Amino acid sequence: MKRLQSTAVAALATTGLLLGLTACGGGDETPAADGGSTELRVWVMGDAGKTLTEVTKDFTAETGITLKIDGIPWENVNDRLTTAVASGDGPDVVQVGLSLLPTFADAGVLEDITEQVKAYPELDPSNFPDAVSPQALTGTDAVTSVPWVSDTRILFYRTDILGEAGISAAPTTWDEMRSAAKTLAARGDGQYGYYIPLWDNTLPVQYTWQAGGDVIGADGAIDLDTPAFGAAVDHWTGFFADGSAPTASDWDQTQGFISGATPMVVSGPYLARAIDEAAPELEGKWDVATLPTNVTGTSLFAGSNLAVWKGSKNVDAAVKLLAHLADPEVQVAWYEAMSELPTTADALETVAAADPKVKVYADQLADARTVPMVPGWDLAANEMATALTDIVTTGADRDSRLAQLRDKVAEIEKNY
Amino acid sequence: MPTSSARRTSRASARRAGVAPYLLVGPAVLVLAVFGILPILVAAGVSLTDLNIRGLGDPSTVEFVGLANYSRLVADGAFWNALRVTGILAVVGVPTVVLVSLTIALLLHTSGGRLAQALRAFYFLPAITAIVAVALVWGYLFNSQFGLLNHLLTTVGLDPVPWLSDPTWAKVSVGLVAVWRASGLNTIILLAGLQGIPHEYDEAAQLDGANRWTRTWRIQVPLLKFALFFVTVTTVISWLQFFDEPYVLTEGGPNGATTSISLYIFQQGFRYNQFGFASAGSLVLLVVIAVVTLVQLRGRRLDVD
Amino acid sequence: MSTDTLRRPAPASRPVRPRGARRSPGRVVVDVLLILGAAATSLPFFWMIFAALKPRSEATAVPPHLLPQEPTWEFVRTLFVDLDFGRYLANTVVVVAIGFVGLFLMAMAGYGFAKFEFRGKTLMFGAVLATMMIPVQVTMIPTYLILNAVGLTGTLVGIALPTLVSAFGIFLFRQFMSTIPDELLEAARLDGAGHGRTFVSIVLPMSGPILAVQAVLTFIAGWNSFLWPLVLAGEQSKYTLSVGLALLNQQVATNPSLQMAGAAVMVVPIVVVFIFFQRYIVQGFTMSGLK
Repeated sequence: MKRLQSTAVAALATTGLLLGLTACGGGDETPAADGGSTELRVWVMGDAGKTLTEVTKDFTAETGITLKIDGIPWENVNDRLTTAVASGDGPDVVQVGLSLLPTFADAGVLEDITEQVKAYPELDPSNFPDAVSPQALTGTDAVTSVPWVSDTRILFYRTDILGEAGISAAPTTWDEMRSAAKTLAARGDGQYGYYIPLWDNTLPVQYTWQAGGDVIGADGAIDLDTPAFGAAVDHWTGFFADGSAPTASDWDQTQGFISGATPMVVSGPYLARAIDEAAPELEGKWDVATLPTNVTGTSLFAGSNLAVWKGSKNVDAAVKLLAHLADPEVQVAWYEAMSELPTTADALETVAAADPKVKVYADQLADARTVPMVPGWDLAANEMATALTDIVTTGADRDSRLAQLRDKVAEIEKNY
Repeated sequence: MPTSSARRTSRASARRAGVAPYLLVGPAVLVLAVFGILPILVAAGVSLTDLNIRGLGDPSTVEFVGLANYSRLVADGAFWNALRVTGILAVVGVPTVVLVSLTIALLLHTSGGRLAQALRAFYFLPAITAIVAVALVWGYLFNSQFGLLNHLLTTVGLDPVPWLSDPTWAKVSVGLVAVWRASGLNTIILLAGLQGIPHEYDEAAQLDGANRWTRTWRIQVPLLKFALFFVTVTTVISWLQFFDEPYVLTEGGPNGATTSISLYIFQQGFRYNQFGFASAGSLVLLVVIAVVTLVQLRGRRLDVD
Repeated sequence: MSTDTLRRPAPASRPVRPRGARRSPGRVVVDVLLILGAAATSLPFFWMIFAALKPRSEATAVPPHLLPQEPTWEFVRTLFVDLDFGRYLANTVVVVAIGFVGLFLMAMAGYGFAKFEFRGKTLMFGAVLATMMIPVQVTMIPTYLILNAVGLTGTLVGIALPTLVSAFGIFLFRQFMSTIPDELLEAARLDGAGHGRTFVSIVLPMSGPILAVQAVLTFIAGWNSFLWPLVLAGEQSKYTLSVGLALLNQQVATNPSLQMAGAAVMVVPIVVVFIFFQRYIVQGFTMSGLK
């Protein structure tokens, strides 16, 4: 017993010590080396580092501000965030995926740049879609991040395969979608009509919006007990019940589209690039369309914002960089290099004019919303995806499984 | 076994040793203590708090919650599921690894010669690759649309298998990759053990008329006792900590069918930045591993006596 | 005491067969099984190597072919020219080199535990073995905080530190060194050698095989390290190969050939190292008294 006690004391003391170390350790940023040139530390996702260096060459030439860019693997952004928060040693500018924005905000690492932003017309919120306005993202007018690149979900479909099946145009309503998928699945064994990624926890949310509802109640808490959510669940599970969607969890959407096994899929612009690269011979045989509607045709507004790390010693320089990246010309250049859609209205117009497919993206962006900006959403969304997957792959009873889900979500909310 | 004279000698040298052993042992033990023991003590402390990412940046918001994390753990159905998954995989996987490694070691030893030496390298390959690379390749091999495995199955007229989408098959797939990876090192250890068996025993048995099968089971395997024990204990520990394969191949899916305890802790705790909760889970896992290992060690001691 | 005991026991040999004897049918079966097994075991590797050379259109083609029909080096080239794999390679080599310092520390500790009696020995050895049972993710944040407090984050030394020493390695060294005859060490002591001299000029040379084993295991572990470089690197220029490979994993639209090329770059050097040293590895385990 004594040994246990002393171990416990040791443990608590050590914890206290380390938490103390966290508090006083770190926090010093890269200060201006000689008062003249500033160096900004920038975190971007994946291997976008090279492109970022390219599009900021002019910026560095004009302002003398150099960039030190680090790429973070998508899957590990949370690890880096955690250790940065723990040590107080973060970057100056960081790319924040919209789905992670609540986590970053909760961690208290986003600097309030409302004042600094006023100096730059490029960063005026009116330049950007309403879906990512400060009000939409934080519920206040405080600017803690600036939109950078956008992404949405549209319907990809094989014009040739649909044509052969007697479907002359893309489905425009929920009912048309169900029946088109069914027709296409009837082509034969191993052929489906529509691919729904089981891991995608945003699609049921989009369906809920399209049914005229929301997943967040008036009080700001997650509410999955609404008729709209019920309608979304039925629509989602309906495709599997019809046999129109495959249940394999490792289905590759690109391959499925190219081979024609799943000639319709809701995906983002990155898929277009993947198809062009992997199967250039398919050109002219496929197209994109805005999502089929129910009450609305609201899609997902995804993408990334840029934020300044709280406690950065180079806030002004950082905001300058943000302004540069929000310049319509730079936004267009980024799109041309990375295929990531711009967020500024001017840039969107420019790229939409050049490519009819991009016009579809831009149109859809005008009717798109972000995932709920509440901490704990991510966890709840994964529970939702698991519940839905359960229903269609193991035949779990819909109502009881959904009741289970609601209980789980209530628990999650308690911990946040 | 050291003879009594040797023991007396070593004790005599111990008296003269003084500070030397501490200097020899010190640096390594210090590193292990700092990066192994210390963190687990910290985790023990953190498990009694509600530390999350906000708390990490602002320690003043951290609260002491006693055993709340532990009761939350026990109340979570997913935790028990993870225990069950880990248990199933370990109970099936460990004997498989040991048997496969033993079989390959015996085959290599029996074959002897250049061929065996050359083939040894192939059998060790899985053990030396990074899991990141391994997972990528196996993911493509298992794929239900364009994977090689299903293609081979259909060419011989069998149905394609939903390797990663079906709860049972997913366990098989994940276990298969883990066995594939684990066999390499264990095969080498057992092979070395076999090659350490004095040739005279085998010859004597041959002269006595024992056939190959008898010789293998009655002579060689029993003489491998220590090596087998070592392999078993380390394999059990590693399968209780099962993480890499489900993380990269299935992310614990489908529907938690391959979520091991380690993965559960990682997902529920670290991915969502609930560090108090994750620490509690880690402590529980450590205790489970320690208990299982002690049982094995105790069991062997009884066996030897 | 006869001088025989001072010499290392001769390694038990493999069954001696007269040269030129025809292999018995039993042995042929064994050989065939081994070859089939080896082919099956190494299939994923060959897949990886060939996939690295496949153009994008063939990467996920149905039906899949093992060999590329139009092989291309473009992805391997991309790794080194466009992406920073050359630098990741250099970092990895440095991390591995630092790991060899750990090798020396482990040998020292193994010797200490094998040949000395001292207060706290059982406790310390028990603690060493206990560290094998600790799940690694739980050590991530405390380790980061510790390294941060001493300013070692973002350095290659810091990256190599958490895994510098392994309980498995200490255990192996201890096993091996406990078979070194005490008389040998006594003789050296009587000749006036201090503990340090004894260690360096007698124990280490005799530990050749096990050193080789541990050296290869250290190399492999350092080469494949992922978690600590990821968490501690601080900046992309300090990433190792594993982390660089993870960077290639875009959120959804992946480039399989590029990923396979990265994986191949990670695997090929290790295979080469292993092929050179494999004889020592088996020998080392044999001599470590694991029977």
